[in-house]
Amino acid sequence: MAFDKMELKDIEVWDGNFAAAQAMRQCQIDVVSAYPITPSTPIVEGYAKFLADNYVEGEFVMVESEHAAMSGCIGASAAGGRVATATSSQGFALMVETLYQASGMRLPIILNVVNRALAAPLNVNGDHSDMYLGRDSGWIQFDAYCPQDAYDLNFIAFKVAEDHDIRLPAMVHQDGFMTSHTAQGVHTLDDDTAYNFVGDFKPMNDMLDFEHPVTHGVQTEEDWHFEHKARQHNDLMTKVLPKIQTVFDDFEKLTGRKYNIVEKYDMDDADVAVVCMGTSVETAREVALEMREKGIKAGVVGLRVVRPFPFFEIQEALKEVKAIAALDRSSPNGAPGMLFNEIAGTLFNTDTKALLSGYVYGLGGRDLTKKHLVDLYTELQANVDAGKVTTPLQQFIGVRGPKLQFL
Amino acid sequence: MSELKKIKNLKEFSTSADRFEGANLLCPGCAHSIIVREVLNATNDDLVLSASTGCLEVCTAVYPYTSWDASWIHIGFENGSTAVAGAEAMYKALKNKGRLKQPDRNPKFVSFAGDGASYDIGFQWISGCMERGHNIMHVVLDNEVYANTGGQRSSSTPIGSSATTSPAGRVSYGEKQNKKDMVSIMASHGIPYSAQVAPNKWKDMVKKIQHGMEVDGPVFINAVSPCTTEWKFDPKDTMLLTDLSTDSLVFPLYEIIDGHELNITYRPKNVVPVEEYLAAQGRFKHLFKDEYKYLIKEWQERVDANWAYLNRREEARV
Amino acid sequence: MPNTGWDEFEIGAMLRTFDGGIDDIAGTLQEDRPYSQNSSFSASVADWRIEKPVFNKDYCIDCQFCWIYCPDISIISRDKKMIGIDMDHCKGCAICVEVCPTNPKSLLMFPEKADEEVEIANWPAKETKEK
Repeated sequence: MAFDKMELKDIEVWDGNFAAAQAMRQCQIDVVSAYPITPSTPIVEGYAKFLADNYVEGEFVMVESEHAAMSGCIGASAAGGRVATATSSQGFALMVETLYQASGMRLPIILNVVNRALAAPLNVNGDHSDMYLGRDSGWIQFDAYCPQDAYDLNFIAFKVAEDHDIRLPAMVHQDGFMTSHTAQGVHTLDDDTAYNFVGDFKPMNDMLDFEHPVTHGVQTEEDWHFEHKARQHNDLMTKVLPKIQTVFDDFEKLTGRKYNIVEKYDMDDADVAVVCMGTSVETAREVALEMREKGIKAGVVGLRVVRPFPFFEIQEALKEVKAIAALDRSSPNGAPGMLFNEIAGTLFNTDTKALLSGYVYGLGGRDLTKKHLVDLYTELQANVDAGKVTTPLQQFIGVRGPKLQFL
Repeated sequence: MSELKKIKNLKEFSTSADRFEGANLLCPGCAHSIIVREVLNATNDDLVLSASTGCLEVCTAVYPYTSWDASWIHIGFENGSTAVAGAEAMYKALKNKGRLKQPDRNPKFVSFAGDGASYDIGFQWISGCMERGHNIMHVVLDNEVYANTGGQRSSSTPIGSSATTSPAGRVSYGEKQNKKDMVSIMASHGIPYSAQVAPNKWKDMVKKIQHGMEVDGPVFINAVSPCTTEWKFDPKDTMLLTDLSTDSLVFPLYEIIDGHELNITYRPKNVVPVEEYLAAQGRFKHLFKDEYKYLIKEWQERVDANWAYLNRREEARV
Repeated sequence: MPNTGWDEFEIGAMLRTFDGGIDDIAGTLQEDRPYSQNSSFSASVADWRIEKPVFNKDYCIDCQFCWIYCPDISIISRDKKMIGIDMDHCKGCAICVEVCPTNPKSLLMFPEKADEEVEIANWPAKETKEK
């Protein structure tokens, strides 16, 4: 190969964006079609610089909108090669049409989503509104809590998505600024080890096989559409999580770093549990330990995979707890939060007597403080003691003004 | 560069093995497929094609059938150009990396789209593709209307045309805006080649397509595509309408090289009055009422002025 | 192709034009191509027609106007000669008849049920153009 390898230290100090860019470099992506948007921009800038310095070989297509970025990714992926890009927020929203098209055509594109709020009002900081916007789009969604995760999950995402039994696009989410711009120590893989883990791209139904022409992106109406959508849903429901588990296992063997579809912290004997995503998981873990010193048996459940939703894994993780808080970092705008609803769904029809309450927090980058979590765990324990949910089912935390609570 | 396909005359052209199939669902007499055939048959090289949502797309890839004998992709209404640009980027990447399955080919990347998908909703995507210099050709099948959705006006719809969203009525002569000049706009990107073509002048078309496929960089082609359904004429008259469009100079045939050098490529021996072109189509029927006849006169003046402008551009060699 | 169940087709609603590989598509005539059941070549639109074109080779000069202007790839030309019409793919638009330059025309439209041999036997004579 004509490009140069990069010598990395065993531990590099990288923010989430640079960690993702490094992983993209090491995966030797063939085409990146991208458009800049805060806070994900440094990912594609990083990739462009690697290209300019001959640390990667491929085509970088700097297009004129996020919609075009994903359109270019779809054309490139259908042509038959490794494809990735990155975006956030409004750019993600502009991409939405093409997200459905990418997954419907079963193209294994990797999209790094640096989570950010959605306007109006405009906001550049992290919440999960964009992640939630994509949750019905037919993509696999991984969630990173820190730069190390953002690095590792990129390799894992390629390996899962490109498998011929899977062939579905995947997003790797990380929190805007809190992860994307916060430098931490990241354990690295050397270039060869990283690439060999992901492996060579194996084309399937590729447009550039001129002896086997293919037609992608057909029209299906009432006589075919349902079957195609059903096929995609079936594969998401039955094939993806087992494959992810296998790849997590392989990754652990290679690196010693263990990922789980649902991450459980101090859950073995927990009475009260917080379920959340992103950087909040790490904050909650710290507070849970402090709560245990105060005699409250607190635990944390973090989603590592948002879609396909790990129904049984969540059910299993929460079956023994007495009170659960679902933390949604996206305005549900007239409904319970997504996590509240999904968790309620997993627990309904089971023998659990767990008390479930929902919290909406952190919109537009508002900090989730340890104090918030201390109060929250205390409230959960009060629910346990009272034998019922003592608060409304939905509360907003960290917002100024009169207390907001519903349901 | 690959060897140009030799097409001296129509007999020779007729030995082409089409890569576009019948039993597609286009209307009888649709000019789209005549244009597509002429484009595809202009080369023997491999093809990677896209279509934006529109008549051509919904009529040629309705599951479980495809009418395409080359790889083809459709994503959405606005992004067919970018789809094929993405494929072209992948081709370059895999070529450089030595990973092409058939490395000795010279594939051509062609995107087809209607005027709605090109002049309106896909405008930005095409502009981006032209500016970035992809080695692709974008071909507009210009029937001056959203035909696939039943005849709404686009920014290609000419003044006086009755479209469903700019209908002629008791107090309206229909479309009020003049047609957008896409060939000039695209040429202004500084692309190596842009041209207007018509399927009746097949030799001119083939020459332009072949030139466009050989140049390095993006190419924009605007093809007049008379629409039997929305222009309201008998399907058998598609070629008559195409003749009227070129010979009245409503659709002059010309090319612009490197964004500035304009050549007129067809000069009708007998220029037909615009009135004849308009009279052959139901969409302009109302213009022949006394109160709207001034519009026909204005049409003729506009066409004459444009022809004079093109001639001045050609003479100036700038 | 029968309406199969959700588990019986390729993912991504992807279609293949041919069964197996084909090395030089542009250099292979239709009759020599391994079309799959998913190519519309394998389908028919014959039932769209109300009228059909009838070809009378006695008057044909092989100018190929009908070939180039046929929207439905239904004029079969081989070795620079017009040899017939693909009646599975012809939609009966009559463009071929309009562009035929011979006198009398070598292609004319007749009702779908008309007998081809009878119509050829009764082909119109050369028209004398009034000056």
